[in-house]
Amino acid sequence: MSSAFRFLILFFLAFSVQGRTAGLGESRGSLVRVRTSIQPFDQFRPWQKKSPFGLSGTGVVLPGGMVLVTASLVANRTEVGLEKPGSAEKCAAEVEAIDYEANLALLKPTNAEFLKGFSGVALGNNLKAGDTAEVWQLERNGEMLRNQAEILSAGVGRYPSDEAGFLVYGVRVSLPKRDDSYTLPLMRNGMLSGMMMAYDRDSQEGTAIPVPMIEHFLKDSADGKYEGFPTLGVSWSPLRDPNLREEVKAPSTGGILLTRVNTIGTAGRAGLKEGDVLLAVDGFKLDEDGNYRDSLYGPTSIGNLVRTRPYVGTHAKFRISRDGNEIELSGSYDRRARDEVAIPSLQFDVAPRYLILGGLVFQELSGVYLQEWGDKWSERAPQRLVQLFSFQQEMKLDPKKRVVFLSQVLPSSMTAGYQHLSGLVVTGCNGKQVGNLEELASIADSAPDGNLVFELMDDPGKLVLDASEVKSGGEKLCKAYGIPALRKL
Amino acid sequence: MTFWSKVFTVTLLGWVLGGCTKDGQLTEAKKNVVMVEVTSQTWDYRLPWNPGTVSSARGAGFVIRGKRILTNAHVISGARYITVQREADPRKYPAKVKFVAHDCDLAMVEVEDPEFFKGTTALALGNIPELESVVSVYGFPIGGDRLSVTRGVVSRIDYNAYTHSGRESHLAIQIDAAINPGNSGGPVMQADKVVGVAFQGFRGDVAQNVGYMIPTPVIRRFLQDVEDGKYDHYVDIAIRWMTLENPAMRKYLGRPDDGLGVVVTDIFSEGSSDGILQKGDVLLSIDGHPIESDGSVRLQGQPVQLEEIVERKFAGDPVELELWRNRKLDRATLKLRPAEMFSMYEFLYEPSPRYVLYGGLVFQPLTSNLMGMLAGSADLRLRQTYSLFGQDQIYRETPEPVILSSVLPDPLNVYLRGLAGQVVREINGKRIRTLADVEPALREGGERTVIRFEGDQRPAVLKKAEVDLATPRIMAQYGITEVSRSGIEGRRLAKGSYSRTESK
Repeated sequence: MSSAFRFLILFFLAFSVQGRTAGLGESRGSLVRVRTSIQPFDQFRPWQKKSPFGLSGTGVVLPGGMVLVTASLVANRTEVGLEKPGSAEKCAAEVEAIDYEANLALLKPTNAEFLKGFSGVALGNNLKAGDTAEVWQLERNGEMLRNQAEILSAGVGRYPSDEAGFLVYGVRVSLPKRDDSYTLPLMRNGMLSGMMMAYDRDSQEGTAIPVPMIEHFLKDSADGKYEGFPTLGVSWSPLRDPNLREEVKAPSTGGILLTRVNTIGTAGRAGLKEGDVLLAVDGFKLDEDGNYRDSLYGPTSIGNLVRTRPYVGTHAKFRISRDGNEIELSGSYDRRARDEVAIPSLQFDVAPRYLILGGLVFQELSGVYLQEWGDKWSERAPQRLVQLFSFQQEMKLDPKKRVVFLSQVLPSSMTAGYQHLSGLVVTGCNGKQVGNLEELASIADSAPDGNLVFELMDDPGKLVLDASEVKSGGEKLCKAYGIPALRKL
Repeated sequence: MTFWSKVFTVTLLGWVLGGCTKDGQLTEAKKNVVMVEVTSQTWDYRLPWNPGTVSSARGAGFVIRGKRILTNAHVISGARYITVQREADPRKYPAKVKFVAHDCDLAMVEVEDPEFFKGTTALALGNIPELESVVSVYGFPIGGDRLSVTRGVVSRIDYNAYTHSGRESHLAIQIDAAINPGNSGGPVMQADKVVGVAFQGFRGDVAQNVGYMIPTPVIRRFLQDVEDGKYDHYVDIAIRWMTLENPAMRKYLGRPDDGLGVVVTDIFSEGSSDGILQKGDVLLSIDGHPIESDGSVRLQGQPVQLEEIVERKFAGDPVELELWRNRKLDRATLKLRPAEMFSMYEFLYEPSPRYVLYGGLVFQPLTSNLMGMLAGSADLRLRQTYSLFGQDQIYRETPEPVILSSVLPDPLNVYLRGLAGQVVREINGKRIRTLADVEPALREGGERTVIRFEGDQRPAVLKKAEVDLATPRIMAQYGITEVSRSGIEGRRLAKGSYSRTESK
């Protein structure tokens, strides 16, 4: 009897702690519903889009009248709409700034009056593990639900569209199922502490984009020219192993081993080289595992130090050990190692480019195309394409060029015998090198009557089409396959 | 990888026993069909020093001329103890493997005791049966212990993958009789003659009533090959070709629109065609048989792939080609040899796995068996080294990539465990091209051994003195009796076209 009674009390206690509903006034000034219509591009049929779907999240109104959401809420959007909580008043919005790596986007209502009367939410302080916070949700009637949350961890972790990692909060919170929960704010003392970007209902744990990331994003976008988060452009390995330390002549403590340095990146242009031991960045000493001592978080991965703290263009200072000699090097932070690549990985909102010649469909290789092969893309996609993408740096692909490949063949009388070919990298056409689709198009367009000879990196090595047939047969091909245009460049 | 796991199912049995077979045929087969019971050992590539796991299985075989017994290679692979038994004689006779051909899934077994052959008549080999004709399959499939007969119709005669080898394709005949575990190695009969050896099927959830048999041309080739006392591998022209169906391509190559010829698109170095054929050559005929533009030739009126001509030949045999090179007719003669560079893609059955142990680091050559063991856990570079090994002719530089396959935990290697699965590039400054390079390279250098890997991985550094101290400890701890098993022992490898006298 008594144990059942205790259980009941506990249950009610938990319930009341979890969901405290606040008045309308609070939500009116700070939150807005964001409804987006999403339609991704079809990488396998680059002339069309996939079926559309809707997402709905909760955006945070900032003091200037802009709305902050996660970038994944608006990726590949066809429309973005805002709706006031508590009323059905709607307004279209435009994306003012977006960063897919940091997973943040800033929306601006098309009607400047729409958010009049919203006071907005200010940015709060950084949180650390053990801090409490709230995750705010909107009820259907516009009232606000505040869910008690606990910060479990604050460290460098994975973001959905980033390869290296940024600072991320691990959050424990019990979220009831509500609409508009694709993006939710993490609040503390009425101020914004983070944006929830993932949540697992079973474990009741999620991740949030922390204040320093939001701050960096907002500051960067304030001047209207968004530059993004910098990157060092290195691969590194921990240096705990005493044998390895001896081999690379590392000093007695601290430092990480650079195993690859991109020559055009922040580190590469500052003069860092493969095999150097990186001891400190901007005065912050690195330990053997690549952590620096953060004033708030304690030991934190170098990722936060070199990507979130500095801005593009700010001064960078490195101390390294090379062959046992300590050297100071300096440069400035930038993103070239990330942006200037032959095969880009991030490509949202960008229609895939393509060129169809006589039924041969050519595309430019991107990470998005490879991901279209599914979770196991690295096993399923053509292995040459996977190789070029994954090892593009060590294969020294020219970042000024694109990888043009034959993605598929639309069977026609012109492509007889070629139907089964796909995933073949094009190196040249009619004896000229092909560095992007425009170059291939201009070779085909200017070819006199005769042959179009495509040179391929792999078997069968060569394909031949009749240049004049390619020109005259295009219209028929479009009609037969219902393709709107033979090229999108 | 074997017929148990991959190809067969246990669900379907066809018409069992006798039924409407002719009496004479049943008797003839009954006299010569044997049950083959095998206890075999399968190597564990995770623990290459262990003798492996023991398992038992049952298959079928049959007596042919010369007191020889034919069965499938997969029935007897890894065999440690074999017994054979006839329907007419309850005794089980010990048997030994005389020859095994994993590439065409055939094996010959011999029995010493002449008693065994009393009452056998030896089955004769027939020819390729007609489509739609009826055949009977004899064997000892699951569902009972005595001889079983199922009947079916010849459904298709075509090139097909021989799954036992992992990479080979040869002529195979599809029949709609149920072929189940235990049928393997049994004769498929028509008019008192063997027209095939039952060898593989599909799982019931993939396709039903699809069974395959090895046809007599493949069996005859095997018997002819072993006449000299040993089995050699199949030979290969080792090229890639593309059909010549595209009109623009034909025009470009200067070929008339006569529906003939295929174009050579790749030539594998060290193969039969290396130095003889060129990319862009158009093959017009092979040993006098005109090649259609889809790559087929006519043999006895039947269209078969052009490789079929090479299929019946042996190492050293010539192949006459008529070709079109630089807009001129030309001729070439190939001397056939096995395609050693593709042996990477064959499953290994008999040879014990090779390895080198060093300070708890286990080095193994890249093989299909190792990849099968690593399955999904292999990282991208390793998978690519494997999948592009032939295509990119990696074998020219590295005939046998060496992998740090695992790190046996010991205080010595506490910082090296994350390196398991990496492809070894060099040890103490010496480039590693086969497993045989590992031990000499480990003896090089100063007091530290430095192992470098492909890609941007950190090197592994070990102190030689510490390794020497730790080795007995690690071997005792993990029950390892040999530091290495690195002899090449008949392993078929590409020669590698690099120079062996490189400077450090």
